[in-house]
Amino acid sequence: MTARRPAVIGLGLTPMSVRPGGSAAELAARALHAALGDAGLAPTELEGLLVGSSQGVRPDRVGVALAAQAGLGDLRMLEHVEIKGATTVAMVRRAQLAIDTGEARTVACVFADAPLRAAGGAGSTYAHSGGNSGLRGLERASGVLGSVPTYALLAARWLAVTGGSPDDLGAVALAARAWARHNPDAVQRAPLDAKAYRASPMVSTPLRRLDCARPVNGAAAVVLGTDAAGSRHTPVRVIGSGRAHPVRRRRAGHESWFGGGRGAIEAALAEAGLSRADLDVLELYDPFTIVTLCLLEEYGLCEPGEAGPLARSGALAPGGALPTNTGGGQLSGFYLQGMTPLVEAVIQLRGDGGDRQVPGARTALVGGIGGRIDHHACLVLEAA
Amino acid sequence: MTPVMAEDWLLEAELAPAVEGDPLAPLYAGAADGLLVLPFCPACGLALELEQRVCDGCATAGADWRPAEPRGTVHAVTVVHRLERGLVRAPGPYPVADVETAGGHRLVLTSVGPLPRPPAIGDAVTIGFRRLGGVAVPAFHPTNLVKRRTPDGRSRDAAAAEAYPGR
Repeated sequence: MTARRPAVIGLGLTPMSVRPGGSAAELAARALHAALGDAGLAPTELEGLLVGSSQGVRPDRVGVALAAQAGLGDLRMLEHVEIKGATTVAMVRRAQLAIDTGEARTVACVFADAPLRAAGGAGSTYAHSGGNSGLRGLERASGVLGSVPTYALLAARWLAVTGGSPDDLGAVALAARAWARHNPDAVQRAPLDAKAYRASPMVSTPLRRLDCARPVNGAAAVVLGTDAAGSRHTPVRVIGSGRAHPVRRRRAGHESWFGGGRGAIEAALAEAGLSRADLDVLELYDPFTIVTLCLLEEYGLCEPGEAGPLARSGALAPGGALPTNTGGGQLSGFYLQGMTPLVEAVIQLRGDGGDRQVPGARTALVGGIGGRIDHHACLVLEAA
Repeated sequence: MTPVMAEDWLLEAELAPAVEGDPLAPLYAGAADGLLVLPFCPACGLALELEQRVCDGCATAGADWRPAEPRGTVHAVTVVHRLERGLVRAPGPYPVADVETAGGHRLVLTSVGPLPRPPAIGDAVTIGFRRLGGVAVPAFHPTNLVKRRTPDGRSRDAAAAEAYPGR
């Protein structure tokens, strides 16, 4: 046992760009140095580096070479972590354990992505990725291009099983936008109403363009340590962590697209010694509006069948009883996979949320998912 | 005379699946013969996922790829409106369904040809094939739109009984 618990002591972000520019390595290096500066650490004081990259076939994904690319000195720990969208939470857990065991005293976790290319938009980048072999090859040969059609199947099935409606999806999009309006890092801040949502082009029923996250070129980094003396911010302690990797069988008698994630939040809350009612803000991985609804129910944050009505009631939005994705999430904020909810949780618990600050926020849930909601990873964070 | 390969109604040929050495090679070999060939556990007969190689029911290794009944119901369905330039040939939105076969497999497929309207969850479908870049790929038709006769005049049920004697 160490006397002081590992905490996030540094946070660094690049500008979030909706235009091509910057390689993932350049962006990652900028975010990393910003986080070190924020923590008041010199680069030579960093002992561990964990790197997360976007999965898929991008040639410039970041990896362990980042240590050299970013000009770091010798490290005691260097790893590329990969469990798809759940990677960020896994990196934070890895950093926490490394600090607890003395493997390293200061550990940075970095994620960068640069899907926007001069040759085409992000949707096009995703549609052209995936290859032509195995199960994915058959799906692509069946018109499943990019990730929207699979999440559309999830959404269609989820709404049918739970009795929800497409208006529930719209309510999530509106809540996310209402939060994003006060987040200077958010890439979509223009006011949004139900009429504008319904006018948004359909991508794959029932998902409209405004049900989908807007990819960005950007990076984010956090530094964990036990000594926050060099930082002017409130340390944000990692007090609980949990994972669930349901091997969901896509065959008769099972749901193809959801279920099995509850263990991740249960473990994180148990380690933290908290209950769901103790969580002041919920920061959930939301690449599509349907995922917010699905995770609220999957994690037991509302009663079964209540996620849609809750969203329509305004509970998720500013001033609501269940402040959720308070920076606009991936939907209206920025899509940096698992870093998006982590970054917002740190900002809220530092009290740095400005006009979007949830008054008195002391605890936060960070939920990360990977694959097609195949991997779940949750953190409970607390302001020191 | 050079035979002209018919183009797929939906996608460009570059999206044709890899066949040689592909984990799903038996599926494509069966499809070329007009059969829906899917993996089952060689010991207990459980319907395996397409890339599954050890049975989760009885831990037996290996997959027995054999003809399965080409019928199913819709577990989930979407209509894709985004027509990716350079990949999609169809001029309008197209359906994609997660189809549960009678034997218990789930396959994400599009339709054999353009449909006036997509099927709904729970609808019965029959599985046929499209040709994409020379590769036969399974695809669904709504069952109520399928002609009940095979080209040789036998009923489809009789042809199926011959192809899948185990059922």
